Order: sequence, then C-alpha cells, then structure tokens
Amino acid sequence: MIRTIRHIMLWAALAAGLAAFVYSAAMLYGIHKDNDLIRQLISGKDVVVNKVISGKPELRLARAFYFKQKHRYDETLSTLSLIMDKGDRNFQAKVRYNLGNLYLEQAIQQAKAMNINEAMPLAGLAKQAYRQSLALNSGDWDAKYNLEVAMRLLPEMDRVDMPDDEPKNQKSQLWTTVPGFPRGLP
Amino acid sequence: MRILLIMALSLLGCSGQIDEPVSYFKVETPRPFGYVNGDEIPQHIVIETRSGISLQPGSLPVKGQINRWLNLNQVTVKQSGQRYEIDFLYQVFYAPLEVKSLTLPGFTVQLSQGEKSIGQNVPAWTFTLSPLRELMVRQSEQGEYMRPDSPPPLLTDTQALYGLAASLSVAVLIAVYLGYLYGCYPNMLRRTVFKRALRKLAGLSKADMEQALTVVHHALNSLNGQPLFLNRLGEFYRRNPQYLQINAQLLWFFNYSNRYFFSDGMIVVAQDLQQLKNLCEQCRKIERGSR
Repeated sequence: MIRTIRHIMLWAALAAGLAAFVYSAAMLYGIHKDNDLIRQLISGKDVVVNKVISGKPELRLARAFYFKQKHRYDETLSTLSLIMDKGDRNFQAKVRYNLGNLYLEQAIQQAKAMNINEAMPLAGLAKQAYRQSLALNSGDWDAKYNLEVAMRLLPEMDRVDMPDDEPKNQKSQLWTTVPGFPRGLP
Repeated sequence: MRILLIMALSLLGCSGQIDEPVSYFKVETPRPFGYVNGDEIPQHIVIETRSGISLQPGSLPVKGQINRWLNLNQVTVKQSGQRYEIDFLYQVFYAPLEVKSLTLPGFTVQLSQGEKSIGQNVPAWTFTLSPLRELMVRQSEQGEYMRPDSPPPLLTDTQALYGLAASLSVAVLIAVYLGYLYGCYPNMLRRTVFKRALRKLAGLSKADMEQALTVVHHALNSLNGQPLFLNRLGEFYRRNPQYLQINAQLLWFFNYSNRYFFSDGMIVVAQDLQQLKNLCEQCRKIERGSR
C-alpha cells in the first residue's frame, strides 16, 4: 500500500517537474523573442504593434526609444506615459529620464527658433521629469547633467521659478476682492 | 553659618549635569564639499535624553520639498530606550555657475516632559556644490550638448534559466530514482553487489557468523543470477572467468559454509571472519575491475 502511494507520488512529482520544465522553457523562449524585438527597435527598425502592446514594459520603452530616434515626439510621449508606473525603481527612473530628454530636446529646438513661450514650459516639464528620475536613482550622471542643461537653458527661467507663489497670491487676492452678488433689499 | 550652608546647598543644586534634558547630542554629516546637482546628502542625528523626556516626532522636518532647490526624500526615526537616532536624506537640485556654498536649514527638535516642552536646536550645515558643465558650453550638431537617451534594457533571463535548470534536475532525479525502483539498471546493481555485502559485513562480529555467511552467499547468488553451490562453480567461472583467480578462496568459503551449517560442534574463530572479509574484498576488487 505504502509502496503504491510512494510510486504514485513519485510519478506526480515527475509530471510536475516536467510541467515546470516546459513552462520555464516557454518563458525563456518568450524572453529571447522579446529581446530580439528590443534589439530590432534599438537598431532603428519598427516592429508589429501587436507584439509591443501585449509585451512587457521594456518593449514599450524600446518602442518609445525608436520613435524618439525618428523624432516622432507625440508617439514617444504617449508610449512613455503608458509605462510611467511600471517596473522597478531603476526602470521607472529610466522612463522618467527618457521623458525628460524628450521635453528637453523639444525645448532646445523651440529656444533655437526663439519661441521662448513654447520653450519655457517644455524645459519646466523636463526639469520635473529629471528631478523625479533622480529621486528614484540619484546615481544617474546623465540625468544630473541634463537637469543642469535644462536649468541653464533659459537664464530667465530661474527668475520665473523663484517667486513661484506671487502669481497665485495675486490671483487669490483678486478673487477675494470680488464682491458677492447683491442679495436684494430687505 | 546658616547663610553659608544655604549658599552651598543652592550651589550644589545648580551644578549637577543630571538635570540637563539632553545628555548626548550629535549631528553627523558627510564631507562638506564635492556635491553636484541631484546628489543625495545624508544627515544622522543622535539624541539621548533623560528618562521621562520624549521626542516629539511632529517637530521634525516633513518629507517633501524644503525649498526651491532642496528636497527631503526620507526621514527615519529609530528609538532604543532614551536614545533617538534620526536619519534624514536630502537631495539637492541646484545648477550653480561656479562652486557655490549652500546651507541645509537648521531646525529645532521639540522634546516634551509631561506638559513642559524643551527645544533642542539642530544647527544649519553649510556645504559647497560644484557645476557639472563648463561656462562656455560646447555645442553638438543639434545645438546644445545633452546626454543621449538611456537605451532600453534587455529582459533578464536569469530567473527563467534557474527555473529551467531546477525543474530539469528535479525531473531527471525523479526519473532516475523511478528507473532504479523499476529495476532498469541490473548491470549497475550487479556491479555493487560486493560493495553492499562488505558494508553489511563491517558491522558483524564472529558471533554473527551465520549472518555473515548468508550475506556472502546472497552476494554470490545475486551475481550468478541463481543460487550458487560448490558443484556449480565451474559453470559460474564460465560466465564470470575473472573470478577464477580467487578459486582457492571460493572453495574454502563453500567448504567452510558446508561445515558450519551441516556439521555439529564447529568452533568459530576470529580469523575465519577475517578470511571471509578478505574474500569479499577480493570479489569487490574484481567487481570494480581493479584486479
């Protein structure tokens, strides 16, 4: 009786081991396929969208990287915004750094074209993204450097940033001084 | 005289350090130079208070933005008895044009004893921050030089590889064991017949001679595939010619066994058991192919 039970258990364990083996092999195959897609995107060749949509966040980051290389900024932004909260801290820091680069590159282009009004908010967004990236991974030298680029991009930007509260105060003062509607005479 | 006594007593009352609310206070900060934009600066504060005095965690700076260029990323308070260890992790976001001196703002830690509140001042700390870019900025093809995008990381396959290796090893081990249970390795078993017999013999003394003889008989029977008797030795040698070299010892064994089991008044001496073990060892050597 005990021998039979032992045999059944051993066969069950063997079946479980083989199932785990098949599962791991399938997973490994999937990872290698995804890595091939990532390499393809890095080298500048587009891939089928469905594979990216159903794939891992790393695949989306690779696609955003590809769009950025092709200067398709809107598609880069929409792809990056989908994976902002995915992955571990390092991955999130990477996503934010690339997002900062996206904004900064556009800000530089706008500044070069003397469109200061467009450049300023873009540089502000870039700074915010780099700050978030550095809060997640303070050892990223590229993020530190580019944050400094963004901070120095437009010299008047610091002056705008420093008295940050003033416009808000003005606004609130304006609202509080608006008199209410007259409620009519008694 | 009375006035002198009162004065002495009042002086005693004033001089003791026991009444100080904070018995130990230290602020530890790293080097005050060599920081750059985005660096984290840790600050470690140790406060030891007199018993009955406790720290008010609400008086510590709150996690978040302290000022335009300084963030407080982490606040940890560890308490062991009357000793408080406070760890702050600041992060600086400032792009200076040249090496610039900045100051971590000081604050007051509130300690309370019942309804009374005592303040312990944590001094401001000054450090220098260096720029990462030169004043005359180099230009790249697109204009302003900036660091490129971070390339997307490849997916790691370590976990899947470990899973694959572990599941494969487990499956193979179970399969091998099942094979052993179903008798799929008769040759391997035949090659360890005398090894197992020797292991059994090692624990026996001359008083267990019957058992010892049975063990050797059993080993020879398993090797032969059927019970082996003295008169069938020739046939056995034909199948296993390598055992012919210990013919004399095998003959002794069968004769001795016959006498032991079928004659009365047989006295066993320790040398007999030793000879039996020797025979088994010779067989083991032949089995391993070293003889």
